[in-house]
Amino acid sequence: MADAPVIEIAGLQKRYASVDAVRGLDLQVPRGSIFGFLGRNGAGKTTTIKMLLGMARPSGGSARVFGLAADAPHASVEIRRRTGFVSEDKELYDFMTVDDLVRFTAPFFPRWRRDLEERYRRTFELRGDMKVKTLSRGMRTKLALLLALCRGAELLVLDEPTAGLDPAVTEEVLQALVGHVARDETTVFFSSHQIAEVEQIADRIAIIDRGRAVLTGALDDLRDNFRRVQLVFDREAPQTTFRAAGVARVRRQGRVLTVVTSGGAEPILDEARALGPVSVDVAPVTLKDIFLETVATED
Amino acid sequence: MLWYKAWLETRWRFAIGLAILMVSACGLVFAYPQVARLMPLASTIEARGEIGRRVQEAVQLSREYHGYIWSQWFRQNLIQMWTVFAALLGAGGLLSQASGGAALYTLSMPASRARLLVVRAAAGLGELLVLAIAPSLLIPLLSPAVGDSYSVVDAIVHGACLFLGGAVFYALAVLLSTIFADIWRPLLISLAVAVVMALGEMFVRDVWPHGIFSLMNGEAYFRTRHVPWAGLIVTTAAAAALLYGAAVSLAQRDF
Repeated sequence: MADAPVIEIAGLQKRYASVDAVRGLDLQVPRGSIFGFLGRNGAGKTTTIKMLLGMARPSGGSARVFGLAADAPHASVEIRRRTGFVSEDKELYDFMTVDDLVRFTAPFFPRWRRDLEERYRRTFELRGDMKVKTLSRGMRTKLALLLALCRGAELLVLDEPTAGLDPAVTEEVLQALVGHVARDETTVFFSSHQIAEVEQIADRIAIIDRGRAVLTGALDDLRDNFRRVQLVFDREAPQTTFRAAGVARVRRQGRVLTVVTSGGAEPILDEARALGPVSVDVAPVTLKDIFLETVATED
Repeated sequence: MLWYKAWLETRWRFAIGLAILMVSACGLVFAYPQVARLMPLASTIEARGEIGRRVQEAVQLSREYHGYIWSQWFRQNLIQMWTVFAALLGAGGLLSQASGGAALYTLSMPASRARLLVVRAAAGLGELLVLAIAPSLLIPLLSPAVGDSYSVVDAIVHGACLFLGGAVFYALAVLLSTIFADIWRPLLISLAVAVVMALGEMFVRDVWPHGIFSLMNGEAYFRTRHVPWAGLIVTTAAAAALLYGAAVSLAQRDF
């Protein structure tokens, strides 16, 4: 069981009235990974997270965390006992102080880390008598992160943890997160549409679009395998389809034909040369390119 | 620690209610000598209809201190203000937090939704019990200051009738709070239901003398010294049913 995925999602669906927020999502998050869950606004990231934590009920499919069914009320309580969570809007109780919130939260978690609480209070400059309603968005995020990290959780679920923060605070939050994970070997599942931060800390990613995972894998593998092959012709680029596996997108613009492939460049090079281009250029692609190409393919 | 949160959430509503009721109870006791002096003039009041009958009845009851306390405090001031605070304390909760976003933090705690609701309801009911009993106990305490006395047992029995009879309005507000995401609709609908029931009860009392407000003011105990157990069991069961409905409604919610 040690190698079993922490999160297993199969065919997960969520329908709100006439809107399909999640449409048959399949996903596995390995233990110990920092898993970036990328997608545009409204792609279904937050809805998926809510279903994992029992805040919304799936319309179909299954979601298991630590091997427990996320939609079973008793199992959901156990999942939350072992999970730290930061919501997208970082809303906490405005009528409490920092001390009140810690006093409220800590007793729920038998493995509450007093040592980390002290450390993060100092690092984030959070005084106990500060009223939550007077905190800036950045300070609120730091407090939410403190409350999640100190739970002694095996899994951290973070929904857009750096949304709305300035670059300095974003960096501070990400460093705290990476430092924590390195020390405590926690699994992190975080959603974002900030590609740079995903690239900075994630080792695995999934790209979700319109409620479905359109790409999953180890970030290094994706970087190694995704290639852009650009063919330049001395005439109008021909309209063609490639038989090789892994072709993610083909775009024609005048005399240029651009092919993005997820299976490396080699399998399509013979086909490409057979079209008679005057030049063939193979280039690696960034995560941003992968994201844009993958999501654009779905349009 | 859910208790702690429930207390922090409602403490100001509770404290304001307690302060208003305490001041009102003090004012009522210390006004009695003045009321007693005006009694000879009261016989000249000419009143018609149900309201007139109630005014005349209040005058009659106020000729002696025990009747004055029941008609002015337990039948009017306390019951009206307590019902408002019952609806006020019942309104709010997870769904209204959801519109502010903090509900997700509550829901991320390892506690079932049923437990969240039970703790909140129990904290609110505890506060309402204090609001029913504490100001009423002030009356026996202060009565010697105006040269009268009032039984502690009577104060507790009337307070308990108010609490057990009126908990249904609190439970209704809790149930409505699992349906509406703001605090105003549960509050206003609960109060509207209370007003309609009070008016209905006033005008059909000759036909049906067992209304919820006469149960809450302990009229049977005042007139016959018998505690209306059957009525109190019915209202308590109704309140429990409404709270159960609230738990079911909350369990089915998506946030």
